[in-house]
Amino acid sequence: MAKIDEVKEQVIIGKTKIVPGLVQEALDEGSVAKDILQAMIDGMKVVGDRFSAGEIFVPEMLIAAKAMAKGVEVLKPHLAADASTSLGTCVIGTVEGDLHDIGKNLVSMMIGSAGFDMVDLGVDQAPDKFIAAIKNNQNVKLVACSALLTTTLPALKKTVDAIRESGLSGFKIIVGGAPVTQKFADEIGADAYAPDAGAAAEKAKAIVAA
Amino acid sequence: MIIIAEKINGSIPSTGKAIEAKDADYIRNLAKVQSEAGADFIDVCASVEVSRELETLKWLIDLVQEVTDTPLAVDSPSAEVCAKAIDFCKRPGIVNSVSMEGNKIEIVFPKIADTKWDCIALLCDDSGIPRTAEKRLEVFEALMKKAKEYNIAPSRLHIDPLVEMLATSEDGINVIIKVMQEIKKQYPDIHVTGAASNVSFNLPARKIINQAFVVLAMNAGLDSVILDPLNRDLRGLIYATEALLGRDEMCIEFIHAFRAGLFGTQKQ
Repeated sequence: MAKIDEVKEQVIIGKTKIVPGLVQEALDEGSVAKDILQAMIDGMKVVGDRFSAGEIFVPEMLIAAKAMAKGVEVLKPHLAADASTSLGTCVIGTVEGDLHDIGKNLVSMMIGSAGFDMVDLGVDQAPDKFIAAIKNNQNVKLVACSALLTTTLPALKKTVDAIRESGLSGFKIIVGGAPVTQKFADEIGADAYAPDAGAAAEKAKAIVAA
Repeated sequence: MIIIAEKINGSIPSTGKAIEAKDADYIRNLAKVQSEAGADFIDVCASVEVSRELETLKWLIDLVQEVTDTPLAVDSPSAEVCAKAIDFCKRPGIVNSVSMEGNKIEIVFPKIADTKWDCIALLCDDSGIPRTAEKRLEVFEALMKKAKEYNIAPSRLHIDPLVEMLATSEDGINVIIKVMQEIKKQYPDIHVTGAASNVSFNLPARKIINQAFVVLAMNAGLDSVILDPLNRDLRGLIYATEALLGRDEMCIEFIHAFRAGLFGTQKQ
């Protein structure tokens, strides 16, 4: 097996101690940094799919992302010159009044692992905070908003409305959270909805590429 | 959690029968299934009359070593037998057990002093099992003095504070909980062990008591235990408790053990 394939396999099973060394070996073997990054992203896609299918548990997804992050550290000096590896910036946060960040953090991690640069606003973010972040960051291609409670669903609508009314463009909006459905996402004019972190990463890539 | 697998013990009726009948396959199978279930040590106890204990123990040890590399726990009430049985083992294991009774320590400690063998030590002496925590800790102190004398590191010792029967205890398991906590405080690297089932003698629904005991004892420092590794409920409970006590980063051990089928609902 080529080192680059091993990198992918070891990311999938979350070998945080092994991945950095393998990434270095893949570089030594002559693999291009960008390809190694892609191998890890592909690995995380497998992880995301397995999570969406209910085959693996949250800690296994977390540890795979951790393994990838360790690999990326080794890659970083080799990637710096080549900005084209990024899929763009993603601004993410929970909407105003919603303090639940466990799911949002998982989604942030998975979208980041798919190749986006993450700007994580945290929890309880008013619409103008999202708008400011879109303005103040380079190359924003995606805005991800989450609401966990039925009581904060209206804030999700308010946020999407405010972003649309701001006149800013060049990005897509993805929404999620336990009470959110595809139907609700359509109603409030979001570009996409995802039921879980694995699906969110896939949707993110798809709508940004569209 | 260090698992010392208990099933190859002549005092268990089915195993006793197999030993009498010289049923080698039965013993090999017990070694194999316990090892596959993740045992760290396979205990072997002959439980036959003294005149043929050593030869029976050798027979058991040889059989276990035919099918697994899992280290052995050589188990005998006689320190002499334990010391002699060490020579039958291909790799370092654990002596089960010594105490401050008679000259047990003087027989076993010199034998394992410059080896990698571990040793279980019971907190009793010639006056019996001390009733209070303070007295038991005095026995412990005397024991540690001996360990130091023979240069046996605390990390090689598994202290069994001797759980009494709940049925006749006046104060639940509070005495040994106190002892366990104090031992761990004094020597963070030492192991605290015990049999998971002694506490429930003479009570109904023993399994439930055993399970509650293990959880409470783990919270007090128990990190080594003598049990049936095929007991799925108990294994699951131990993995869950490790995770709840923050000893299983990201619950990965719990998930792996579940995937390995050690507990939980088995897929059809």
